[in-house]
Amino acid sequence: MAVLAVAATVAACNKPEDEPTPTAELGSFEIEMEYTWGMDGSPFVLSTPLHHPMTGDTLTFETFKHYVGNVALESVDGETVAKADAYALFDASEPSSLVLRVSDVPEGDYSSMTLTLGVDSARNVSGAQSGALDPTLGMFWSWNTGYIMIKAEGTSPQSSTGSFAYHLGGFSGENAVQAKRTFDLASKGLLTVRTDAVPTVHFMANPARLFHTYGSVANGPNVHMPGPAAGTMGQDFHSWIYLDHIHP
Amino acid sequence: MNPRISVVALGLSAAIGFAGCQKVQELEPEPLKLAVPDHFPDPIFGTGETAPTAAGFELGRRLFYDPGLSVDGTISCGSCHAQVHAFADHSVALSTGVGGALGTRNSPALSNLAWYPTFMADGGITHLEVMPLAPLMSPVEMAADSEHLMSYLKSHPVYPRLFQNAFGGEPTGQRLLKALAQFQAMLVSANARYDQWALGQIDFTGTEQRGYDLFVAHCSTCHTEPLFTDFSYANTGLDSVSADAGRYRVTLDPLDHGAFKVPNLRNVALTRPYMHDGRLFTLRSVVDHYADGVIVHPGLDERLPGPLGLDEQQREDLVAFLETLTDYEYLANSQISEPR
Repeated sequence: MAVLAVAATVAACNKPEDEPTPTAELGSFEIEMEYTWGMDGSPFVLSTPLHHPMTGDTLTFETFKHYVGNVALESVDGETVAKADAYALFDASEPSSLVLRVSDVPEGDYSSMTLTLGVDSARNVSGAQSGALDPTLGMFWSWNTGYIMIKAEGTSPQSSTGSFAYHLGGFSGENAVQAKRTFDLASKGLLTVRTDAVPTVHFMANPARLFHTYGSVANGPNVHMPGPAAGTMGQDFHSWIYLDHIHP
Repeated sequence: MNPRISVVALGLSAAIGFAGCQKVQELEPEPLKLAVPDHFPDPIFGTGETAPTAAGFELGRRLFYDPGLSVDGTISCGSCHAQVHAFADHSVALSTGVGGALGTRNSPALSNLAWYPTFMADGGITHLEVMPLAPLMSPVEMAADSEHLMSYLKSHPVYPRLFQNAFGGEPTGQRLLKALAQFQAMLVSANARYDQWALGQIDFTGTEQRGYDLFVAHCSTCHTEPLFTDFSYANTGLDSVSADAGRYRVTLDPLDHGAFKVPNLRNVALTRPYMHDGRLFTLRSVVDHYADGVIVHPGLDERLPGPLGLDEQQREDLVAFLETLTDYEYLANSQISEPR
């Protein structure tokens, strides 16, 4: 009995202190990621040979995962909402992972959204994180603290080893892989958060961009640590992610 | 991160529960005080948001000694970090992981980790909570992955309740790592003869005092008191070209090639063999290296101008001082022993 009473106390104390005050009704929205291959709108599919239009490589991806999060919104009235804990590990092999649901967002009309593409630097160095950022998920370097923000693995006849593995991370300095970008929602008709609907903000990404500056997998089939190669590939990929449309 | 742990101050009500045939002590998330010795600086980990709790510490202790975390159930953290050797391995140069695999670096002794800004011989890891990922996931150590760890912990007869008690939820990777960090933060070694001397409680013998004076003259720039490391990296002239890139692996700076983190010397008399690869088997052979074995080459750390040129008596005195760093209370402390 005493134990139960203590447990109840503990549960009561466990409420987050920063729970929003109920002045505004709270709704939700979703961020959805879709992939394309190259500039002509070809679909990006795993386990299928894809021709890289610029390098001429044939690439068969078996793994493609990357982080997006640290969501911040600004409303048409200039109100800001920060959801720094909202992170997704988008995994091309799991369609259900390609949606990040952001909850407890005050009702409003939002005109811009800022995202960290990758993982913000503070979360790389602040100890064990939870959820999508759980460091046991195979997306955190065990020997060199920091996230693998983008993981692309597969096979290619142009690779000297027959395979490729790009584990892209590094959160500081000029080779940082993560990018903080602000997207204009107003030009797509605003993100309208209400209690009775869950709108979706739909982004497009293009894994072919990894090789935009880096070039062929023949230039090196593996990147396993922070540095210029990781920075170049990661920044090229992140710079091309764009907001496609908003489902109300 | 977890407001409950830092805020709640419940009376320590320990209840005894039963799971199967195993007796499990249930501990509330009572804050545990990390004992900061009077002559130590402030720790980096283990106070404020990262303060251990009784329940988190005990869970971490159990996890530390549990071979079930390794992929084949054979290797625990304690396998290569044995309390009797001040949490170094059992006098072997390189440690054996799952399937008989050998690593490439000597298993370090563990103490005073709450004061460490970085971990591993190359300093690649910068937070105590993520340090265990390296041995857990290395294919030549415990070779675990998330799937193995979570299915082992969640289907275990006892762990789900221990995680609930410590963190208010089921086992997750984050909670596993936080519990291990809480246990390791409490590994404080601060009651060696050296400490008793530093606090004015005892006098050194003649040879110990002469050894200390030599240590201050030649060693303590890097092996800074009272932690006996300044956490810098140094190439100490073991090889003209190191087979192990050391710190270079992290920084890619050619000047860091063959440089390794200055090790904490506490309990050093019990942690043989020595150096990053365990090549030297006695304390005397380490002193001999610094006395006349240092290879002078362009990468040699500038704080080590070359061989120190100590005579026989000086070498013996230095070893006598290093033996004052043995903390027998630490070796015998049942609070950090394998749970029975």
